[in-house]
Amino acid sequence: MSSTDPRPGIDPRGPRFGAAITAVLLAVIVFTGLIGATTVAVVLYLLATALFAWGAFAGIRRHPWGLLFATFVRPRLAPAAELEDPRPPTFAQGIGFFVTVAGLALHLLVGPGALVAAASVAFVAAFLNAVFGYCIGCQVYLLLARAGLLGRRPATP
Amino acid sequence: MDPLLAAAALAGLVAVSTVAGLLWRARDGRVRMASASASVYRPSDFDGTVSFADQATLVQFSTEFCSRCPSTERMLRAVADGHSGVGVAVVDLTSRQDLATRFRITQTPTVLVLDRDGRERARSGGAPERAAIETVLTTLARSSYVVH
Repeated sequence: MSSTDPRPGIDPRGPRFGAAITAVLLAVIVFTGLIGATTVAVVLYLLATALFAWGAFAGIRRHPWGLLFATFVRPRLAPAAELEDPRPPTFAQGIGFFVTVAGLALHLLVGPGALVAAASVAFVAAFLNAVFGYCIGCQVYLLLARAGLLGRRPATP
Repeated sequence: MDPLLAAAALAGLVAVSTVAGLLWRARDGRVRMASASASVYRPSDFDGTVSFADQATLVQFSTEFCSRCPSTERMLRAVADGHSGVGVAVVDLTSRQDLATRFRITQTPTVLVLDRDGRERARSGGAPERAAIETVLTTLARSSYVVH
């Protein structure tokens, strides 16, 4: 796991690999939630929420799926044509965390159904990322900033 | 819920996601030509680091959270290298919501093609194909003779 790569950036295939695992996890949550296996669904949902928090706050480089990719998958692949900035996939993890926490809050306030709904929303995003290379930071950052939910003052004086 | 029904619902979710992805891919990066009354910009309308090239300027809007912006920027620079008088300018909107509003940017990368007068001639939301940008530049080069 020790990275000797002097170049900054991550292998862009890493986050898509992780998104595929996350999409499967979320699909299992939706399924178990729908058939009424509530305990399994809730436990897996909390796991997914914790994983999003890990990716969002520790950064995508330290995400368990990223480590899995670096240890078992990347050595079997040709080197990446180019490396990518870790900030966009880290941002996407933050969006995932926000959606899952919102689902938890709605679950407590409104009741059952919220977890399945939130897991479905997160599934769509993870699936689009894994299958189509959809970049959620490209599409939603400016919309959220415009809505005043995100955004930053100019850093330069 | 019956497991069979739940499996059908899950399959529906996958189907909806796939359709959404295909629609997104079909629309992404489409280059639209601007109308004759499109806005004319000056370099000072951007963030102060932008200067216009002699014939056309490719302006790319990015943010820190845009994984596709660096490769689009490299493509645009390669295109500009092949045309004399064509330049590239990159504007980071991460902390410039005002610019995003002024230029009506809702996603990144967004690329504007400005002519020598700073008039917006084409715009692409998403990562454009290199050939589409080349076509716009060729059209622009031809029309500039007509205008003069």
